[in-house]
Amino acid sequence: MAVQIEFAELSPTLSGQTPPRRGRSLYLFAVYGILLLAVAVSMLPFLYVISSSLKDSVALFSYPPEWFPAQPTLDNYRSLLTDYPFLRWTLNSLIVATSVTLIKIVIDSMAGYAFAKMSFPGKDPLFLVVLMTLMVPFAATLIPLFIIVRDLKLTNTYLGLILPALANPIGIFMMRQFIESLPGDLENAARLDGCSDWQIFTRVILPLMRPGLVVLGVFLFMNQWTSYLWPLVIGTKQEMFTLTVGVQSLRALFSVDWGVLSAGAVLSMLPLVLVFIFLQRYFIAGSIAGALKE
Amino acid sequence: MGDAAPAPITQMRLTPAEHARLRRQQSRRRALVAYAFLLPNAIFFLAFLVFPILFLLYLTFHNGGIITPAEYVGLDNWRKAWTDPLVRTTIWNTVYYCLLAIPSVFIIGMILALCLQRVPHGSGPFRSLFYLPTLTPMVTAALIWLFVIQRDFGALNIILGWFGVPPQNWLGNTSLVMPTIAMLEVWRGVGFWTLLFLAALLALPPELYQAATIDGANGWQQFRHITLPLMRPTFFFAVVMATIWNLQLFDSVSILTDGGPSNATATVVWYIYKAMFQFNDKTGFAAALSFVLLLFILFLTLIEIRLLRRRT
Repeated sequence: MAVQIEFAELSPTLSGQTPPRRGRSLYLFAVYGILLLAVAVSMLPFLYVISSSLKDSVALFSYPPEWFPAQPTLDNYRSLLTDYPFLRWTLNSLIVATSVTLIKIVIDSMAGYAFAKMSFPGKDPLFLVVLMTLMVPFAATLIPLFIIVRDLKLTNTYLGLILPALANPIGIFMMRQFIESLPGDLENAARLDGCSDWQIFTRVILPLMRPGLVVLGVFLFMNQWTSYLWPLVIGTKQEMFTLTVGVQSLRALFSVDWGVLSAGAVLSMLPLVLVFIFLQRYFIAGSIAGALKE
Repeated sequence: MGDAAPAPITQMRLTPAEHARLRRQQSRRRALVAYAFLLPNAIFFLAFLVFPILFLLYLTFHNGGIITPAEYVGLDNWRKAWTDPLVRTTIWNTVYYCLLAIPSVFIIGMILALCLQRVPHGSGPFRSLFYLPTLTPMVTAALIWLFVIQRDFGALNIILGWFGVPPQNWLGNTSLVMPTIAMLEVWRGVGFWTLLFLAALLALPPELYQAATIDGANGWQQFRHITLPLMRPTFFFAVVMATIWNLQLFDSVSILTDGGPSNATATVVWYIYKAMFQFNDKTGFAAALSFVLLLFILFLTLIEIRLLRRRT
């Protein structure tokens, strides 16, 4: 694909397009105005649902609705955490996402190294197959995957949730692009010094590609954390739900308890937001680089 | 003493045949190492991607398999998929949704990227805040939107009320429901495309703009004749990816409407899921539908690649 992946932090630079000095303040006013409007639209749904989650059942349905609850309460959160295995769902998501991320980082960087730096018969056709499968929608393989995983007796298991995610070829592609951009000198020097291929990989290549690994890791984790369709079909027992499936079941199980639902919506996005605050630039680079496949 | 030195070198010199043999041996060893590096990935790739695609093709010619054993039915499932009116509805709904969502999200994303590129201060916080909806799982985003579009206490109807617009039943009205779904997807996706476009904008060479300014080109002319042509590879990538993603619309529809009202939001993936897991054992039919989705996406992607390549 003809895309340059920018791993470096996007730096806020003004390019050469400075408008004429006359009317510049008006121009900046308009630009900031558009951006502030967009921020308001982006944030309003979050703020509204956070406000709803702090209301009691009377305030929730009062008309006209209160933008800020007059008497904020944590009851909704309390009943979410005591009446539902919400923490178990969070733990499940954490286990699945972490396993997929760690395994994929190792095997994708290995495969990416082979495609980037080694020569072997069948290299180009094999890589073409990898590229072709990038276009295969996950939904199209849902049914055969379900039957395979069911026949392996892996429904309602962590393994069943993890295995199909390991086939996603996007990481191979990302790691190949990244390793190809590394200089070959260090590798050659290590080879002259008598390092084996495995030693070159673990001691020379892996340390050099740390930023790329973080980007891939963040992308895989985010992808897994937000996935819904596969966990929905493979987990039928409540204690094997992932966070996404669990939270939507709050709505599906019974007549909607809006308070608990809003608390669930807030808590289900909290972990990722916390991670995001610390790893911001990797998130953005990761999702752009990983944009090749959902 | 000095004459003895060259002797070991003569002994080490290889005959051409010997050299070729060692070379072959070495490259065979290198190939084996490469295959060893590919092996762990290849196992999962074959078992959970290549094999399922072949298995899917097999399933389209069979029936049952979930409760009853599978039996060969020939082209029966394909015939059903061809004649089932709901299949056509779902394909049309999915395409309609793409036509609503993809242009909107690209235009808004591009406008915001251009704005972010131009602000001297505060671009960082803006970027983070735009990105927050993208970070939210689609499931959570859909639940959050339940509160926004709820008829009686939803924020959207309240705000529209300030401007005198009567409350709308966003999810209950067949002509409003798909635009509402598209609105949610645009809300969640716009931050992603903004940052992608911004990254591409920041990578454009500033010299071109300086030269254009000296030549007296105004902002619009610069955008039209420099920015847009140079952004073509990015747009190319964006269109291909957005098509692949958006044709798989499922999460928001399954949570907010479950295909309704009167199938107005029944999408292809929604129908695959329903046929497989909620209607009685229609595996073969669902498989045929999955294959249609696969072919449809491959076909569209290849067409897009051809069209956009030619213009570049």
